[in-house]
Amino acid sequence: MKLRILIADDHEVVRRGLCALLQAHEGWEICAEAKDGREAIEKAGQLKPDIVILDVGMPNLNGLAATRQLTQHDPHCKVIVLTITDSDQVIREALDAGARGFVLKSDAARDLVSAVEALQRNRMFFTPRVNDMVLAGFLDKGHNGSNNEPPRLPKLTAREREVIQLLAEGKSSKEVACVLNLSTKTAETHRSNIMRKLGFHSIRDLVVYAVKNNIIQVQVPTQYQTPGSAA
Amino acid sequence: MTVRILVVDDHPVVRHGLRTLLGGNPNWEIVDEAADGIEAVAKAANLKPDVVVLDITMPNMSGLEACRLIRKEAPASEILIVTQHDSPHMMREAMEAGARGYVVKSNASRDLLAAVEAVSQHLPFTALNVQSAESV
Repeated sequence: MKLRILIADDHEVVRRGLCALLQAHEGWEICAEAKDGREAIEKAGQLKPDIVILDVGMPNLNGLAATRQLTQHDPHCKVIVLTITDSDQVIREALDAGARGFVLKSDAARDLVSAVEALQRNRMFFTPRVNDMVLAGFLDKGHNGSNNEPPRLPKLTAREREVIQLLAEGKSSKEVACVLNLSTKTAETHRSNIMRKLGFHSIRDLVVYAVKNNIIQVQVPTQYQTPGSAA
Repeated sequence: MTVRILVVDDHPVVRHGLRTLLGGNPNWEIVDEAADGIEAVAKAANLKPDVVVLDITMPNMSGLEACRLIRKEAPASEILIVTQHDSPHMMREAMEAGARGYVVKSNASRDLLAAVEAVSQHLPFTALNVQSAESV
C-alpha cells in the first residue's frame, strides 16, 4: 500500500517542486495539496494522510498553528514542518506544536525525502541545528534541573492564535467571524481577550507581535534586506 | 524552434517546481539552472539562452543586479522575473533593470507559461495582484 502524503504551501510553484520530488519515490503518492493551513486541516480530516508536510508561512492559518491543531486532534498525526528559517523560536514552537520533522526550505531538495523516510519508520527528522537545540535543552535540564528558556508568553488558546493571524493580516472582526464561522460578537470577544492577555492597546501592537512571533511573515523588499536575510 | 531557458532561483525546490511547470511545453528546453545572481550572469554569458527566468531575492547577488549585468553580457537573452514581490514599485525597478516580463510566484501556475511565450517573442508580460498594477 502506498504512503499517502498531503502537501501544504501557498506557492504553487513550490508545491509543484515538492510533488515532483516526492512522487519520484516509489511507493509514495501525493493524496492532496493545500494552499493554507485551514485547507490542510480540512483535507487531512477527510483523507487521513500518513504524513502531512506544512509550510510555516501561509496565509489564513500558518503552518505552526495548523500543526498544533492537527496533533491535538490526532496525537499520532505525523507532521513535517517546512521553514525558511531555523531560528530558536520557530524550532521551539514547531516542537511544542508536535511536529516530528523539521526541514529548511533551502535544503528541501536534499532533506525532504530523508525526512519522509524517517517518519515512515516512526522516527523523527530534524536539521542539525534542531538536534543541537534539543540536546542542549536536555543536558541543561539534566544538570541544572531547569532550562534556560525565555519567559513564557501569555497562554493563548489555539483559537486566539488563529484570530491573531487573521487580525494581523488586516481582517476586521466581522471578516474574522466569517472565516472562522463564528458570530461577530464572539470574534470581538476573542479580540478583547487577546488584547487584554497581551496588554495591547492597538492593532499596531498586535501586528508587531504577530511578525515577531512568526504568526505572519512579511515580505521585505530587496533593498531593505540585511545580508543573509534572503528568502 | 526550441526556446532555450535558464532557470535561476536560490531554492532547489522552487527550481524543481519551475522545471515541472516549464516541462509541459515540448518546444522549450531548460539548458541549465543557477542558484544566485553571480552564477546566473556567468551561465547566461556562456549559454546565451533565449529566456532567463530570474528570481529577485537571492544571496550573493540579487536578481535585479543580475538582470542589469545579463543585459550587457547576453543582450539577446530576454529576462522574465519570477518573484514573491507583488509590488508595482518592484515591478518598475525590474523593468528599468532590463527585464521583459514580471510574474508573481504565487501566480506562477497561471502566468508562467504565457509569460515565457510572450518574452520569448520579445513581447512584454507583466501581471500583479495588487490594485495599483501598472502596464509597462
